[in-house]
Amino acid sequence: MADQNEVLRLKEIAFKVRKMLLDLSESYSGILHLGGSLSMVEAIVALYHYGMNINPKDIKSPTRDRFVLSKGHAAACMYITMALRGFFDFDEIVKTYGKLDSAFGTHPCKVHLPGIETSSGSLGQGFAMAVGMAISARQQKKTHRVFCMLGDGETFEGMVWEAANTAGSYKLGNLVAVIDRNKQFMTQFDGTYMNMDPYADKWRAFNWNAIEIADGNDMSSIVDAIDALPAYDSQMPTVLICNTIKGKGISFMEKNLGWHSGSLSKEQWEVATAEVEKAWELERSVV
Amino acid sequence: MTSVAAGAKLTGGVVFGDTLYELGGKHDNVFLVVSDCGVGSKKFIESYGDRFIDVGIAEQGCIGTAAGLALEGHVVFVLGPAQFLSMRACEQVRTAVCYQNLPVRLMSYSGGGLLSSAGSTHYGMEDIAILKSIANMTVLSIGDPQMIGELMRLSIDYPGPMYFRMAAWKKDTLLYEPGSVKYEIGKAITARKGKDITIMAHGDMMFQAMKAAEELSKEGIDIRLLDMFSIKPVDEEAILSAANETKGIVVLEDHMKYGGLASTVCDVLMDNGVMPKAFKRLGIPQTYPGFGNSDDLRNKYGYGLADTIAAVKEML
Repeated sequence: MADQNEVLRLKEIAFKVRKMLLDLSESYSGILHLGGSLSMVEAIVALYHYGMNINPKDIKSPTRDRFVLSKGHAAACMYITMALRGFFDFDEIVKTYGKLDSAFGTHPCKVHLPGIETSSGSLGQGFAMAVGMAISARQQKKTHRVFCMLGDGETFEGMVWEAANTAGSYKLGNLVAVIDRNKQFMTQFDGTYMNMDPYADKWRAFNWNAIEIADGNDMSSIVDAIDALPAYDSQMPTVLICNTIKGKGISFMEKNLGWHSGSLSKEQWEVATAEVEKAWELERSVV
Repeated sequence: MTSVAAGAKLTGGVVFGDTLYELGGKHDNVFLVVSDCGVGSKKFIESYGDRFIDVGIAEQGCIGTAAGLALEGHVVFVLGPAQFLSMRACEQVRTAVCYQNLPVRLMSYSGGGLLSSAGSTHYGMEDIAILKSIANMTVLSIGDPQMIGELMRLSIDYPGPMYFRMAAWKKDTLLYEPGSVKYEIGKAITARKGKDITIMAHGDMMFQAMKAAEELSKEGIDIRLLDMFSIKPVDEEAILSAANETKGIVVLEDHMKYGGLASTVCDVLMDNGVMPKAFKRLGIPQTYPGFGNSDDLRNKYGYGLADTIAAVKEML
């Protein structure tokens, strides 16, 4: 059972990430992928601030856990989460995001941003690279893990299953896929035209240890799942299927196809920020 | 290593396998990743099995996995057919490998061009056009089997991704006396000095170009023959000199006529404001070739030996 003080600390970080995402969106003239960023906040915060062995002061440490954001369009959420862990300066992100020569753009670029493991954003590719990294760790007899976050929509891509098959066949127990399963894609919901189910069974058929997290926006559940991960030298890759809500935390965005990506007006920012702050106040008062 | 003289036959696949085994022993970061085609790699696989990954028939996942390994500091050789490396996995090559400038070496064993009777599903005839357009990618097309080994050794320290179009895979003729040529990426090999007409070729077509030059020499025609194995980066100086010093340029390639070496040569000439006195490109026209042996297909599509000789004579 997760330590509740630790969970509260992580929840506060998640609150800050949501708030900063809204701030970034409001200050930036272009669009942000808000829906899929908001759905994965708990999972990425739990990884960067709890589960992963990383050190922002030693980004090339050979023993560090690797993180690949295969759903690269949610880069803003990763930048902010990493900023709160000490990797970057949030003000720098706000000041330069999407601008000429910035290190921070819609899809992460390793060439411009040391501190991330890969460039990503072309769906499916990050996951295959994570498989390569896990193979390397095995061959080098290293003890770190490779974590890879994917969107559920991304897993329509054929190459995801090519890579999943490789990971299952090579028994990469040091690889953990984290699926942001918000059941909502850019223009359709799961089941409108295309079906994902039986989702966990698909992964199991590829020889993965599939763990379903009923509420992937519940920090305590994520922490429990991370605590229960098999050892790095286990013989089966693990997938954490986080059932989440796209646009989580903002009433007018939740489960709304219009907010896959978008730009916030001042008024929308005020409403959204008030909602996020109110939710955090409530959370804190319960404790 | 097998040691033979120019003119002898040597199997490129054996050279590849021997060299990979040699490099695997010298460098513990060398990996081989394949999609169900570890042909020629037996010695490497047997000795360095933990550095051999076969992902099955899955080229996209194969390239993605190779990129992940390269990000961890490995030099990754990926063996596969030209058409699937360049087309099935095109976006993975471009985005996972080239965007991040990773040391992945794409080793095309099927040679590219019109392989006998394979049919257009398996003719890698656009590979050079596609891959040379991708930033950071080095594109090599190798005719002499021995060169495969020399250039693989050189590739260990060469920056960024590389494509090896290994025409010389089965029994091919050694074009050059071993040790007689210094291979430098970005420098053409002057296979024959001459002052009348320049023939530029690469890969498999070098052998045909040599035969054409020999035939023409019997008629007193002095051919400058350039092996343009380094298509990107290309030897601009050799191209400009050919235009300035000889009476015409014939570009011969087992590739689409437009988009390959011939187009690169034109780019260099135009960019430098140099007009050759005559220019002819011989290669595959805009079509999907059918079946037949390589020689018959080359003759049918106008880039066989007789066509090469005729193209030169037309310029004189």
